[in-house]
Amino acid sequence: MRAAHLVILPILIPLAGATVGLLLWRWRRWQAIASALALLLSLVSAGLLLVSAWRQGPLVFQLGGWPAPFGISMVGDLTAATFVVMAQVVLMTGLIYALGCRDRCVSYPVFYPLFLMLTASLTGTFLTGDIFNLFVFAELMVIAATVLTALADDRSGVEAAYKYFYISLLASIVWLSAVGSLYASYGTLNMADLARRLAADPSPPLVPAALVLMTVFFMIKAAVVPFHFWQPDFHAAAPTAVSAMLSSVVVKLGVYGFLRMTTLLFQPQAELLRGWLLAFGLLGVFFGGLTALGTHNLKRMLAYSTLSQIGFILVGIGWGTPPALAAALVLTVNHSLVKAALLMLAGAMASRAAVKSAAFAHLTGLGKGAPFLGALFLLGGMALAGIPPMNGFVGKLVLFRSGVLAEAYPSLAAVGVAGILTLLYVTRAFQIVWWEPAPAGAKTKTGGDRLLAPALLIALSLWLGLWAEPLLALADAVSASLLTPSAYIAAVFGP
Amino acid sequence: MIDLLRALTIGVMFGIGLFQLLRRNVIRSAIGLMVLTNAINLFLLMTGAYRGSVAAYVNLSGQRSDALPQALVLTAIVIGMAGFVFLLAMLYVLTLRYRTADADDIADLKH
Repeated sequence: MRAAHLVILPILIPLAGATVGLLLWRWRRWQAIASALALLLSLVSAGLLLVSAWRQGPLVFQLGGWPAPFGISMVGDLTAATFVVMAQVVLMTGLIYALGCRDRCVSYPVFYPLFLMLTASLTGTFLTGDIFNLFVFAELMVIAATVLTALADDRSGVEAAYKYFYISLLASIVWLSAVGSLYASYGTLNMADLARRLAADPSPPLVPAALVLMTVFFMIKAAVVPFHFWQPDFHAAAPTAVSAMLSSVVVKLGVYGFLRMTTLLFQPQAELLRGWLLAFGLLGVFFGGLTALGTHNLKRMLAYSTLSQIGFILVGIGWGTPPALAAALVLTVNHSLVKAALLMLAGAMASRAAVKSAAFAHLTGLGKGAPFLGALFLLGGMALAGIPPMNGFVGKLVLFRSGVLAEAYPSLAAVGVAGILTLLYVTRAFQIVWWEPAPAGAKTKTGGDRLLAPALLIALSLWLGLWAEPLLALADAVSASLLTPSAYIAAVFGP
Repeated sequence: MIDLLRALTIGVMFGIGLFQLLRRNVIRSAIGLMVLTNAINLFLLMTGAYRGSVAAYVNLSGQRSDALPQALVLTAIVIGMAGFVFLLAMLYVLTLRYRTADADDIADLKH
């Protein structure tokens, strides 16, 4: 086995695990064990990929042995490897949550195979170096996520899944037109080759169209504010284990896309794109924060909060300086861990309510029966709002520092004000569920979804808050590697 | 001439698709999405529409068409078809459950 095989292992192992899982559909217990093992194994290979990408630079695997611009290249550079490890850590906890949850849908024979398909395809979108291949992986991801949502115990699951699928198909069309525009202009689909040609000659008339279409695609994927409308609806209905994944790591595909677009694909237009991202990010920060304050459902509140946190990340990418990119990466990792944990906690709380629902009306005061859950939620909320000793504080700190270094004072002030909104809505939720007196006759059910998975995530974010150096060093290395696209291009084309 | 015809076809399909997409009836909007998908597929195919006279094999000489967009479109058609079938299946469940095809009435999640 060559080192380059590490690039495809995190995709192949979950894919193989899904196949094995389907063959084991009669033996549910073995299916669950096999799926967890496959995901663990794939996480290990992703970790190895990250280590080796950090030590030796980008690893490239040419599918079918075709040389770079002709075949499909899978590129495991530091950025992609970081996103893959982040995604697979969170997906692993999602699987642990599913193993210990009371939802009926996790006992369906297709649940775990679909979950692994989601893992494989999300990993694929990060690792691919070919824009058409990205479309294929994105479509695979959407189909897996849609079926997982439609399976929900909640009767509105199909409605939520339909909305998500419809918007995602529309997004795929947008991406395909961008692919067509770029292929008509440059005759290549390889990202490294495109970057090289586009930097040399950005004049073909279809290039601005491709820029806008790609931006729209990633904005739909990341639920950036004017394109967010599908996202909150769908969180109230999806099974907790699934909605926690979709709101934390799957939306990060958009963030990854913007990082690639500003630093690799559209280098001549990067300034323009950064301006858009800054504007949309600031809009999202306020819109998400204010709407999260006004919701009456805990899961919906967390969904709106995602819009605002994605806004913070986009502001970081929009500033575009090396420390700002590093800050965006730190925020991305933090948000994935914390949002997954908080959604799981919301789902666990709902599973303890008399009516299984995350609406505040059903949850008021119920937290008194679940003090450990409350402690975890408090820590998670502190992380989201950026209060030490949690990792959220480190994220906010590096973001503000990069803003000062970039001398972007107006947007920095706006971000600071919006940060207070986060504190407000988290406090409000905590107050309603854990402080207010429970209405007479309201009872907490004993037992409910297990808390191991959110506890793991909260412990991880506490650890990253107390000992932040490794993540910060990684973020600096990623931002340095993002800003030297020539290394990426050289790695793809080989010696 | 043939290029103009193709461009017009794509434009008309795109227009029909977009118009149906914006209708309130969910079945119509699903069909609109499919028409739009096929307009884009045609656009993808056109990006490589050189006038080739021989098949795109390595060992044949002569003017060849670009084979890549054809492969892309084949993949896109298959994925689009699978997606559309799945969309229709969900639409069937939805219309049975809500007893309506009006997008405004399929809104349990808003409450």
